[in-house]
Amino acid sequence: MLKRLFLSDYLVLWLCVVYFIALIPFTPGFASWSNLQTILAYLLPLLVVALGLTLVLIIGGIDLSVTSTIALASVVGGKIMSSEAGWLAGSAVAVPVGIAAMLLVGVMMGVVNGFAVTQCRIPAFIATLTTMMFVSGLAIWFTQSQKIGGLPAGFVALGQKLWLATAIAAGATWLAHYVLARTLFGRWLYAIGHNSRAALVSGIPVQRVAFAAYVLAGLFAGLSSILFTAGLETGNPEMARDNLLDVAGAVVIGGTSLYGGKGRIIGTVFGVLFLALVDNSLNLLGLNFYTVTMVKGGVILGAALLDALRNKLLIS
Amino acid sequence: MAAVLAALCLVGCGKKAENPSGDQSKQLTIGVAFETLQTEYWVAGFEAIKAELKKRNLNVVEAIADGDANRQLQQIRTFVTRKVDGIVLVPKDSKTCIPAIKAANEANIPIVLFNRPAAESPGVKSTAVVADNRKLSRETVEFMIEQARKTGKKHKAMLIMGDLGDINAIGRKDGFYDAVKGQESVVEVVAEVPSEWNQEKARAGVVNALQASPDISFIFSSSDFLFPSVVAALKSANKYHKMGDPGHVVLGGFDGDATAYQMLVDGYLDATGVQDVYFEAEQSVQALLDSLAKKEVPAVILDPGFVIHQGNLAEKKSRMWGANVGKK
Repeated sequence: MLKRLFLSDYLVLWLCVVYFIALIPFTPGFASWSNLQTILAYLLPLLVVALGLTLVLIIGGIDLSVTSTIALASVVGGKIMSSEAGWLAGSAVAVPVGIAAMLLVGVMMGVVNGFAVTQCRIPAFIATLTTMMFVSGLAIWFTQSQKIGGLPAGFVALGQKLWLATAIAAGATWLAHYVLARTLFGRWLYAIGHNSRAALVSGIPVQRVAFAAYVLAGLFAGLSSILFTAGLETGNPEMARDNLLDVAGAVVIGGTSLYGGKGRIIGTVFGVLFLALVDNSLNLLGLNFYTVTMVKGGVILGAALLDALRNKLLIS
Repeated sequence: MAAVLAALCLVGCGKKAENPSGDQSKQLTIGVAFETLQTEYWVAGFEAIKAELKKRNLNVVEAIADGDANRQLQQIRTFVTRKVDGIVLVPKDSKTCIPAIKAANEANIPIVLFNRPAAESPGVKSTAVVADNRKLSRETVEFMIEQARKTGKKHKAMLIMGDLGDINAIGRKDGFYDAVKGQESVVEVVAEVPSEWNQEKARAGVVNALQASPDISFIFSSSDFLFPSVVAALKSANKYHKMGDPGHVVLGGFDGDATAYQMLVDGYLDATGVQDVYFEAEQSVQALLDSLAKKEVPAVILDPGFVIHQGNLAEKKSRMWGANVGKK
């Protein structure tokens, strides 16, 4: 029974459950309704950006620019919608135009990354590292380091009404899952990740599929930016700047391989949930900052080791 | 893994029992949330607040957001879940903290912003304890001008600015110009270096300014943490000399960190405006307690700070947080 659980695809989910139950007696308010809402509000934007990263990792690529894309989309949306200094301040179309522009920024960044990787043959790490640097600088230059407040209530509701944010994130998750698990395109992504040369020989349009994966990653980053920006009521050129490793860590903990060819959206959901649970519980425990940082690193390492051990057992 | 966490939790829970009051039911708990602990100033502020809470026999729960506004919002909501009695917050910035303040307001938990005020927002209530950046900078630069006047010559001046998206940096810049206005016979401003609170940018800017105007002899840095960059640039231009030396550049700063303290002790720094971290910590905790006692608390409490220089170093150093860094 234990072995079956250990070898299950849902190992990370079981880890979440065990972790949650084990800490309830020691962590005041951990299982309270308001805390569960807090955990959900925290993980939704991270989950959406992680979805796109999962698709890119499955083809054996990487996108380091997703968090910079979030920042750029955040300030572009803010500049359009803000009642303080927005280009469409007070206009009825400010919110739909702002949302469309944020998604478009994401798509454009995906196009740039996809073009650099598939057409210019620049290694994905270098291509997305440079776009990350460029876009971070662009977002700061664009706003001169200023944060943009005064966002319309209709937009802010997208991040602050939990049912609405949950619906958006759930829709994105279902879409990513459907694309990956139920479409030919999804199977092509796995094939490219396993062996891109073999995929090419098999007639898969490798370059076009890889390009589309980067565009989708950009689109999800744009959508995530909407949740981040609405949740914090601010267009921020530093939005999500320090979240890249959290997101990548969650995807890998969820079972997606950094070498490509392996990963599932449900695994990413569990990975993000696990990280959010750890973060939240450590806050509630009242440990000091230095302990929290070390414990968080240790817990994530423990989860990664368990997953590696599980994979080894599965192969043997 | 969960067992290890549970054990750690027991250690954490054990701390409460050590509280000298012996009466846990009456003890208030204060959440202290800082955006970062990456500079000496924030560490000193964090320790000062915790010491103040301990002195008043209050429990403390802490959270550091590591520069992540979304995490900071979650941490404040977590404090609400824990039903803390008050919150001291160093926000990521003046705008992204608004939802966090709203969360505290909705739970009727008083919240004090330490050293960084929030932007105006309808219906959002908080108290900010902040340094009077403009006044303290003006007083520091006025002292520097008096030192410059004593040399009997006219000085060319450089201002090193912070991130102009930061209201504190703007206050310090304005204070500098308040002081030099009308003092053109002593000080002529020839260079403004935008540092964006980045040491590398500050160093490159100071080097460029010294190349363009090699006779600059008066420098005000908007933060002491940029002094290593200033000193390196001055040394490479052979302009770093002690006070009293004919080649001495009149130097002033803001914050009162450990580097500035050492430069004062060594005789290189004329003056720095000290943010009185201990005053700010005391006022933050007092404001929370006053709020809980339903007393009227102002929206902004100003820390007047003080100018420290060679003449009052011995007298004032005990309240200069940089002089106490590393001491236990």
